[in-house]
Amino acid sequence: MIHSDPDAAAPARGEEQPRSAPRAVLSPWTLIKRFLTMREGSISVVTIALIVYFSLSIPAFFTSSNFQTLLTYFTWLAILAGGEVFLMINGEIDLSIGGVYLFAPLLFYEIVGGGISLVPAVILTILVCTGIGVVNGVVTAILGVNSFITTLGTLFALEGLTLIVSHAEQLNMPGSAVSTSANGSSHLGTFASIFGAGVYSELVWAVVIIAIMQIALTRTRWGLHTIAVGSNRIAAAEAGVKVRLVVIRNFMVCSSLAGLVGIMEAVRSQSISPDPSSSNSVLLDAIAAAVIGGTLLAGGSGTIVGAFIGALFLGVLQDGLAIKGVNADYLDFYLGIAILFAMLINVYVGRVRRRTGVG
Amino acid sequence: MSGVFAGGLALADQSPPEELVVAPVSAHEDVLRVEHLAKSFGQVTALRDVSMHLKKGEVLGLLGDNGAGKSTLVKTICGFQKQDSGQMWLHGQPYEPKSVQHARELGVDVVYQDLALIDELSVYQNMFLCREERYSRLPFLNGAKMKREARKVLNDIGIRLPRLDVPVARLSGGQRQSIAVARGVYSNADILLLDEPLAAMGAKEGAMILELIARLKQEGNLSIIMILHNYVHVLESCDRVNMIVDGAIALDKPTAETSVLELNEIVVEQYRRARQAAQVQEVA
Repeated sequence: MIHSDPDAAAPARGEEQPRSAPRAVLSPWTLIKRFLTMREGSISVVTIALIVYFSLSIPAFFTSSNFQTLLTYFTWLAILAGGEVFLMINGEIDLSIGGVYLFAPLLFYEIVGGGISLVPAVILTILVCTGIGVVNGVVTAILGVNSFITTLGTLFALEGLTLIVSHAEQLNMPGSAVSTSANGSSHLGTFASIFGAGVYSELVWAVVIIAIMQIALTRTRWGLHTIAVGSNRIAAAEAGVKVRLVVIRNFMVCSSLAGLVGIMEAVRSQSISPDPSSSNSVLLDAIAAAVIGGTLLAGGSGTIVGAFIGALFLGVLQDGLAIKGVNADYLDFYLGIAILFAMLINVYVGRVRRRTGVG
Repeated sequence: MSGVFAGGLALADQSPPEELVVAPVSAHEDVLRVEHLAKSFGQVTALRDVSMHLKKGEVLGLLGDNGAGKSTLVKTICGFQKQDSGQMWLHGQPYEPKSVQHARELGVDVVYQDLALIDELSVYQNMFLCREERYSRLPFLNGAKMKREARKVLNDIGIRLPRLDVPVARLSGGQRQSIAVARGVYSNADILLLDEPLAAMGAKEGAMILELIARLKQEGNLSIIMILHNYVHVLESCDRVNMIVDGAIALDKPTAETSVLELNEIVVEQYRRARQAAQVQEVA
């Protein structure tokens, strides 16, 4: 017999497993410790601490109007980070989300210009973005090119294509126009209200997408196989997991979400801005949110909810510093230091988790 | 000296001479038959010409030195890799597994030497990887059912683990090995390939697995090919033994008709031939 724990009351051979014994009541300290050592625990505490700090130091921070502003900082980022988490758990990375984010609204513009109505144009655009994911996936998983290199290539190609097609000119986003009624009040169209311009539109999208992806990661075969591939690719293949298919599928999801976010952000800002510097910043923020949220760059482990909280952390930080009136020149500096600080806490908590086996 | 390698040997050639390669004895009760299987990886020939068979309910011990081609043979039979040439038959029908999953669907399962366990996944998730239980018509995993069934299987074998929802990374080598064996044994396969199932186990744990194999042999439903290095275990647990030497079967005998001494002599002879061949090459 193999005894891993001499105190464990395991049933004798051939016996049915007894009904679960009454669980011991956990002390509040044990519960706190368990929460803190969860993957999402440390960044949750850091984010709450940051919200408390800004709320106490800036009266304008904890207000409903600033909450609406805060949404514009993090909701879209959470969606992008969610897609990136699946790939990072696979041990891959997708840099091309920046290019897809930039290219999708322009493609949407061209499709609508071709006479196709708004919602089918969104669907078509996202399908093309999914196709970009297929290309990334095939080049990486089948042809064997490192995903960093593959997606770096796709990123530059899409950014270049966007500049070529748009002639580097800013364009008006179709479907985002605000109409003004006779009494002077302005109205958003239904399309714009749903796809990004409505006050809580992106929040709803983010919460729904994050919830679906978290369930997919923890409760479906897809999620299980994603973790298996990232943890030990050879063992996963030996067990029968279709490794290439899993990787390609995750690239497809990541690109599709980047396309959706690109459209929504363009609808919200009512314009298509073919500026590669903004897309590069979007890309790095999404990766930062995923990593801060507790996803390992090395693969095998990650959390979608953590990515959401990581995005919230970055959003709160940027919003708080902006309201505080921090000089724009110092903004990135403070942001970088805060990210490093958050990551150090994550690493420390990760060590505690591995040592204690909690969480 | 058994005489298996008797006769003139070409020293420069480390492979057993063609006339001494054992031809397979096929019978109508064969569940698996392999003929003239060959597999190379670049310049390295892993399987030169392997022909073998497995009868229903039989436990076949597969022996051979490191690098002889045992694991390659197992990985080919289980669908992990394709052979370069040669054919396989399963229950008398041509057998060409496209993948591990396909082979599993056809009733051939495997426990790999490296165990194929995912450290980040729990005990029950590993046991059900690629045959997950789901709620009917829904894509969601039925964790409770998988845990229940995993517990039943482990209890049946005699493996005591207090929790099945812990990552396998936290278990000992023997416990991990037991889980991999349990996964294979209870997979509803009718042919099971075990690649060194006792490798990481202590004496007690190894005895437990051998006892399980003896029980399975008695039940007679499962046919097993088992790679082992311990000749005593082979003679105790197997009905028949095949020895693979440099990518070909060099011995095929019922265990009742062979001995540890004979098996040792074959390996030692092979070692001497390889050494002589190396010396000849050095001189040349």
